[in-house]
Amino acid sequence: MHSTVAAPPVLTAVAVAKSYGPTVALAGVSLQIAAAESVAVMGASGSGKTTLLHCLAGIIEPDAGAVTLAGPQGALRVDTLGPEGRSRLRRQHYGFVFQQGLLLPELTALENVALPLLLDGVDRHRAEAEAAHWLAQLGLTGMEERRPGQLSGGQHQRVAVARAQVGSPSVVFADEPTGALDSRTSEQVVTALLQTTTGAGRSLVVVTHDQRVAAVCDRVLELSDGLIVNEHVNRRRAA
Amino acid sequence: MRTATRLTGLMLRRSTDANRASLALPVVAFAVVTALTLTVLGGARFFFTIEGPTAPLYQSLAALAVTLLLIPLLTLCGSAARLSARRRDQHLSTLRLLGAPTRTITTMTVLESTVLAAAGTLLGVLGHLALAPLLGLLTFHGERLGAGHILLGVSGTLLCLVGLILMASVSALVGLRGVVVSPLGVRTRQSAPRLSWARAVAVVAALGAGMLAAQALRIDQGTLSIVVGLAVSFGLTMAVLNLVGPWVLGVVARRQVRRAGGRFTAERLLAARTVLDNPRAAWRQVSGVALTSFVAVFAGVGLAFTNVLAAGGSTPEDDLLLADLRTGIALTLVISFVTVAASVAVNQGADILERRELFTSLERIGMPLDGMDRARRLAVLSPLRVVALGSAAAAALLVLPLTGTVLLTDPLSLGTIAALLAAGIAVVWVALRATSPLLARVVADA
Ligand SMILES: Nc1ncnc2c1ncn2[C@@H]1O[C@H](COP(=O)(O)OP(=O)(O)O)[C@@H](O)[C@H]1O
Ligand SMILES: [Mg+2]
Repeated sequence: MHSTVAAPPVLTAVAVAKSYGPTVALAGVSLQIAAAESVAVMGASGSGKTTLLHCLAGIIEPDAGAVTLAGPQGALRVDTLGPEGRSRLRRQHYGFVFQQGLLLPELTALENVALPLLLDGVDRHRAEAEAAHWLAQLGLTGMEERRPGQLSGGQHQRVAVARAQVGSPSVVFADEPTGALDSRTSEQVVTALLQTTTGAGRSLVVVTHDQRVAAVCDRVLELSDGLIVNEHVNRRRAA
Repeated sequence: MRTATRLTGLMLRRSTDANRASLALPVVAFAVVTALTLTVLGGARFFFTIEGPTAPLYQSLAALAVTLLLIPLLTLCGSAARLSARRRDQHLSTLRLLGAPTRTITTMTVLESTVLAAAGTLLGVLGHLALAPLLGLLTFHGERLGAGHILLGVSGTLLCLVGLILMASVSALVGLRGVVVSPLGVRTRQSAPRLSWARAVAVVAALGAGMLAAQALRIDQGTLSIVVGLAVSFGLTMAVLNLVGPWVLGVVARRQVRRAGGRFTAERLLAARTVLDNPRAAWRQVSGVALTSFVAVFAGVGLAFTNVLAAGGSTPEDDLLLADLRTGIALTLVISFVTVAASVAVNQGADILERRELFTSLERIGMPLDGMDRARRLAVLSPLRVVALGSAAAAALLVLPLTGTVLLTDPLSLGTIAALLAAGIAVVWVALRATSPLLARVVADA
């Protein structure tokens, strides 16, 4: 069996709480995510999955609690950063995959993937070379010049996965990345997501409703009313 | 019908914060269109009530001004209609998925657009009433115009309102086809449409014809025929600009895509790609400035030319006429500037609302709001520069003999032209800036 605390945690949350007016979205969640670990977050609709993801990712500020990222330059308190610091954090240390992919429809696949690097001031030539590398990793060679509108749902989502990988983030966050896909395409995307994250030493936090997605992650957390009510460690997949 | 009425009422009232903005925008746009249209028509009508030997001249000048302003006003009206259509599509796609019958959907669509347009036009009437005393301060023929001469009058106003509201309803009906055919409302973009070389050829041919027409004018020195000639070559050039504009913007944007680099690479790339993705839309957004710069050059040269005429011993009657010409030209310019700015603000507001999910996702992956704003500004201002300078050059070419004379006798007037162009660009910049808070709100609300 595999123990999650063996590797030093990349991301640590302690008693994170968040309310929207009278609605308690998170009621004090603590967790640790190890390097190269994949964690599925499950739970009923409205149980706080997205809120948790957003707090961990520095998209929203929790009302209470602490989120710490063990970044390459030492520990970083995610929850106390200002808006600009969080923006930089998301750009440099995190990758994101959204349910709808949300690629820029005007840009080519290659430019979409290169975008986070360009935003970080990486030279265009280098950014596009790295983007091409990740597109190839995701089996999208030949699609570089296509617009998102010219891609299938699965291809679209794999481009989004590639975009999440550029710039070597420590953690990749995905909020129902397969929610809009059929089951076969969904499997391809999840496989690609796991290979490119945990397969490359990155951690993955994925919110999902799909048992099959959860089954291939190292660990499954179940949320209910803003609390972790169940935790399940899957057998470690062969390394 | 009753179900449709109830549902429409419900959707109009149950609006979230960002939705309220999408409700307000078409209303504001219709209000601006109405206020300006009523004022322009009211002012023009005044010249058809005057008598005397100069009456035909004043009337043809007024007609010219109305023609000039009609195009940007219609563009703004189109933006307003498209805007209320976008807002509707979301609701209607949902209703369609839930199985609402086509008739209910049709009724709701027309109803909502009509209600929004009606609200806007009523506000516009207030705007007209407020503008009238202001413009009434202007002097024509040595006398204060007075608010009474600007007000369009009840029957004219009603006719105008009915026309504008009808336009909104009809465009809602036309726009509905997309919703009924595609209930999922999936917006797929094609690759950048190719614009054919045939356009370039058409342009050269038409420009040549226009120049010949303008040259021919010199034979007859009558002011009236100059005005008619200007109107003809103006209309011709506008048609040509509309053909070539999107093509030129596409060519320039393609170059910018290739060259984007250095600081703000992402923003530059995004802006150029936005233009390239739909050069026609980019053109539509700034084409009112093509018109404005065109007018600016015509007006600048025209003003200077009248100065030249005045220098050679003029009668008091002539002086009055020249003063009136200057006032008219300035007025036409100011109104077209305002129309363009309103168009840009409305289009940008709509764009932000339509793409709020995308802007939110960009913010999440770490693109600062500043960057999004910069890309958005560039996507408008870069075509704007191309268009403003391009059409100014085209206008100068068309009246080449006059431009030459003016350049020698009154170089100061060219300064006026430059100032007017700068003012046009500044007004659009301000309109763009005015929509930045909406972007910030939409992203913060997510
Ligand atoms: N921006 C918000 N404003 C108000 N309430 C919110 C907001 N975001 C989430 N909530 C509420 O917080 C709770 C948790 O939401 P969320 O984290 O999105 O759940 P999940 O992703 O598990 O469906 C829900 O009750 C939801 O209605
Ligand atoms: Mg959610």
